[in-house]
Amino acid sequence: MTRPHMPPTSGSAAGVRPVRAYLRSRGHAPVSLTDRYVTMVQLAVLAAVAGQPVATMIGDLAGPADPARTGAGVALVALAMTAFLVAARAAGPVLLPAPDAAWLLLSPLNRGHVLGRTARALLVVAVVAGLVLGLGVLAVLGAPDQLMWRLLAALALGVSATVGGMALAVLGQASQSWQVWLTVAIAGLVVLAVVAMSGHLRSAMAVAAAAPLSVVATVAAGGVVLSALLARQAWAALGRIPARTLVSASTRAGHVSNAATTLDPGALTWIAEDNHWRARKLASRRWPSMPAPFALAWHDWLRLARRPRRLAAMAAAAALPAVLAQAGLAPTALWAAVLAGGLAAACTGVSGARRDNDNPVMARLMGVARRPALAARAVLPMVLSGSWTILALAGLALAGGSGTQAAALAGPAAGGVWWLLGPLAAPALAAGALRMARRSPVDHSMPVLDTPGGAIPTGPLIWAVTGADLALAGCLPALSAPLVPPGAFGAVLAAQGVAGVLVLLGYVLRAGRAG
Amino acid sequence: MYEPIIEVAGLAVDLGANPVLRDVRLTVSPGEIVAVVGPNGCGKSTLLRCLTGLQPATSGEIRMFGEPPADNARFWSRVALLGDEPAWYPGLTAREHLELMGAVHATPRMTVDAALDVFALTERADAVPLNLSTGQRQRLCLAATLLRPSTLLLLDEPERGLDAAFRSRLAGLLGDYAAGGGTVVMATHDEGLAAHARQVFPSGVTA
Repeated sequence: MTRPHMPPTSGSAAGVRPVRAYLRSRGHAPVSLTDRYVTMVQLAVLAAVAGQPVATMIGDLAGPADPARTGAGVALVALAMTAFLVAARAAGPVLLPAPDAAWLLLSPLNRGHVLGRTARALLVVAVVAGLVLGLGVLAVLGAPDQLMWRLLAALALGVSATVGGMALAVLGQASQSWQVWLTVAIAGLVVLAVVAMSGHLRSAMAVAAAAPLSVVATVAAGGVVLSALLARQAWAALGRIPARTLVSASTRAGHVSNAATTLDPGALTWIAEDNHWRARKLASRRWPSMPAPFALAWHDWLRLARRPRRLAAMAAAAALPAVLAQAGLAPTALWAAVLAGGLAAACTGVSGARRDNDNPVMARLMGVARRPALAARAVLPMVLSGSWTILALAGLALAGGSGTQAAALAGPAAGGVWWLLGPLAAPALAAGALRMARRSPVDHSMPVLDTPGGAIPTGPLIWAVTGADLALAGCLPALSAPLVPPGAFGAVLAAQGVAGVLVLLGYVLRAGRAG
Repeated sequence: MYEPIIEVAGLAVDLGANPVLRDVRLTVSPGEIVAVVGPNGCGKSTLLRCLTGLQPATSGEIRMFGEPPADNARFWSRVALLGDEPAWYPGLTAREHLELMGAVHATPRMTVDAALDVFALTERADAVPLNLSTGQRQRLCLAATLLRPSTLLLLDEPERGLDAAFRSRLAGLLGDYAAGGGTVVMATHDEGLAAHARQVFPSGVTA
């Protein structure tokens, strides 16, 4: 059983298998028959629990789609596919566990075989994502007849798209020319989303929604063939992926999994952030002369100004609520989405607070009291969330025509002042973002709750809601806006203004106590 | 004037079940340079952390400026601590980190340009700290620590990553700091740095 030496094979399929077997024998206990049985039972229970709701949902898709919502739906599907491709490219997508990258990659073993297991995992991820995307496609285009066949065709199209996209990302890792094609695909999807949203594709989408089954089947078959070809190319290219890209992707993944499992999901942000700044060439600017807390907070402003593309993406994302409104989201959910977007915008401006909380060495060197520092650092997230919500509400007004949608969103009596709710919620959103930035790492020693739906670890749960809870508490008046009776909108505005200021003030005073 | 800045009596620290420090006695007066010396694991860094209040003592008494160490702005405006490498602010260059330090403190001890020059970082001023070498990053840490005003410098292995020439320059810089009325306590393995200081073992015994 014991092998004192590594197997002396190289460049062959037989080379990797014994190595993996050796590692397995030294690592976890081998998978027993009981383990497999438990896994199968869990999958069967999952299928039994989720089967009925999924079947009902699919049944509801029968019938033609609502033409007024098709444009927004296509835009959302295109954006989802864009997000999938961007995530695949950011991850690698081909990567190895960090020890494999260090010990197996830089060895004479056949690289394609070393990477085989990763490739299979990527395939599973792509298929699952594709099934969800396929359901999305069917929900958008509808099924005027033959629900089952149209469902199968939509799923085939979805899986083809994600498998093809993943293959493209793998090929992009192996060669620069494929990387260009991946970028073209991402840009094409963004353009498609914009055009679909603008309504220029209405006739084309109507044709697609009413296409006879034979045409749909042909298109799906074409998609499957194309993605199979791409997947074959990608499989062949596995062995040609340069070690340097694999090592950097795998090290990144090592940090990521470390951060995700042992330390703090918040650490994930630093990996991307540090990689970004390492690759940038900067010119120093003179620090403006201002009181110490504001001088400290100036870092967040400078950092944001140095990422204009992120700012542009954030501004573009302000159009999302309008897309969601066109896709038929309920007013209350839409308000929640607008405020969640505002919170996300605020979160991009609290980097300094997060850095000082994770590692207070610099904060100690600065010697600025915590309360003034926190108060000064709240200004940028307030400006960001306030501007973002105004933009999003303006987008809703434009898309809905003369503010009707936005007015409906904020309640029947909103009149022309509905947009004031955004800036009035900004202090609460800023407080939420600061609390999120300064939260402690996940406490894995917290108890795990056993519920009929499964075990819920309270540590990660509490970590996840920290920050959002404060934002929610401070935005309750704004969230209730669609429910208030006509004539009470002024009171909602006043309540939101008071709640926002109180939440931020309370947070700064409480969080900065020790300073 | 000659009131001690640091008074430690009967300090003991256990980490886990391991006794790291036992009955440490230490008194440091203004203007002194003290080098805490000894082999790895003898408790040098732990002693420095105790002085800042970052490591709670198991028993004993610590008085900094006549009172127990407190983790607040007043304390950190007098004490400059150089320990582990800090997490650098994302998107700021080396020069901007020093500019920030100068902007936060009303009366910096030197200008940013002077600090870049003294710590031989002028040519790398526009680099983000993560793109500097280990030694350059340590020089940047030292520059930030010495640029800001303080009455007490606590340095944990300030020689880390520095070349021999810069180590001897550092001894001169610390001498200037003490000559200006400042007090320095450092944990060090560098004999050159320790030679310019009163040497103590973490047990409190003068070497």
